[in-house]
Amino acid sequence: MEKQARAAAYRQAAEALPARLRREALALPPEEQSRAEELRLRAGRPMTALIEGRELPLGELPVEVGELEQLLEIASHASVHAVLPQLRRGYLTIAGGHRVGLCGTAVLREGEIHALSPLSSADIRVARQVKGACAPVLDRLCPGGVLRDTLILSPPGLGKTTLLRDLIRAVSEGEGCLPRRVALADERGEVAALYGGVPQLEVGRRTDVMEGCPKAAGLMLLLRAMNPQVLAADEITAPEDVQALAQAAGCGVTLLATAHARGREDLGRRGLYRELLDRGLFQNLVTIRRTEGGRAYEVEELR
Amino acid sequence: MLHLLGAALVAGGCAWLGFQKAMELKNRVRALEETARGLALLERELGLGSPPLPRLLEGAARRSEGPAAELFAGCAQGLSRLDQEDFSHLWRRQTACLAGLSGEGKEILAPLGEVLGRYDCRDQREGVAAVRGQLEELAARAREDSRRQGRVYRALGLSGGAFLVILLL
Repeated sequence: MEKQARAAAYRQAAEALPARLRREALALPPEEQSRAEELRLRAGRPMTALIEGRELPLGELPVEVGELEQLLEIASHASVHAVLPQLRRGYLTIAGGHRVGLCGTAVLREGEIHALSPLSSADIRVARQVKGACAPVLDRLCPGGVLRDTLILSPPGLGKTTLLRDLIRAVSEGEGCLPRRVALADERGEVAALYGGVPQLEVGRRTDVMEGCPKAAGLMLLLRAMNPQVLAADEITAPEDVQALAQAAGCGVTLLATAHARGREDLGRRGLYRELLDRGLFQNLVTIRRTEGGRAYEVEELR
Repeated sequence: MLHLLGAALVAGGCAWLGFQKAMELKNRVRALEETARGLALLERELGLGSPPLPRLLEGAARRSEGPAAELFAGCAQGLSRLDQEDFSHLWRRQTACLAGLSGEGKEILAPLGEVLGRYDCRDQREGVAAVRGQLEELAARAREDSRRQGRVYRALGLSGGAFLVILLL
């Protein structure tokens, strides 16, 4: 069943492709469709599917620049103007939460990327939600059924965002804990993947999402506007983010956030994150580590 | 009696032809004006924000009249088949199908498909404004033609009918 859902997500992502490339993508056997993570298009080269770290060519004919432009047209519904802010941050989200990354020759205006023309490569990342990812840690993060202030740590690519999304979903739905109103500052649109105002990845029925806004400003706006019980943000990276979290903590809101670090020691070595620890903003620290069988979660109580 | 009836029919027919021709000129002006108004609507919407093209065209189709409504609705529908036809082709094809618009009006309108949705809102607004300006000029010329030639056609219809009646009687 899960394989079918994964293959269906692949086919949905392939809908952004122009007709010829879509045919090539859909010719991939269903078993491999379910394992494909990305579709990669490079001008002058055949399209490939990224499957478990290896690129598998999907046809013999090379991708043309015109087809990359058509991909952008399909993905944006012929509305490049509406997705320019997304393009400037490197990718745009399409129906289903799949991400289309683009690169090419940058056209600059006032020192900022204004457009990409001509396009040279594109990458469609298939969005797949891991429901239940938070199950191994939920009990310890919600003693008595109430979520405590939690910071999730891991190096890139180990599933911080996946765990955060699933925790938000569980808390918002009241799965394994008391249901809470969650407000999510999703600056890069990676957690909820809003498309047309609707989250494409499940973040729960009691979750309000603010996308595309700098985290600190988004957190403060959510705090004022949405009266949240839980305030969530992905990847704390700036002193303003820490300030905003501290201010929110003072308002009695439960905090849920992620940060790039290998563990508590690593966190303590960096000035920005040390402040998070010194201020005692978080009660629980979840560290994700890679193991031979996959990944392991370690929960540490800070106070 | 039969002669009189025939004469009345000939006179009426000629007058109808003249009035019909004058009406065609009026309709041509109205189609151009409606199209220009539709484009003005697009301009205003693009000035308010960055609406995606489907929403922009669907909204404009509901609030426009005549060829503009027909064009916007047709293009909004075609946006679901972008894998088969790109937007500039779709716009050109829909423009070519517009029944009410003159050939010259269609020629002015067709290249706008290369601009809509492709550039930022400011550039698109400028493109739409330029086309709207040309259509308004064309409409002004057509209005003048309609005023002058319409009168001529109506007079020709009436006098031609009267002349034929005199000739036949």
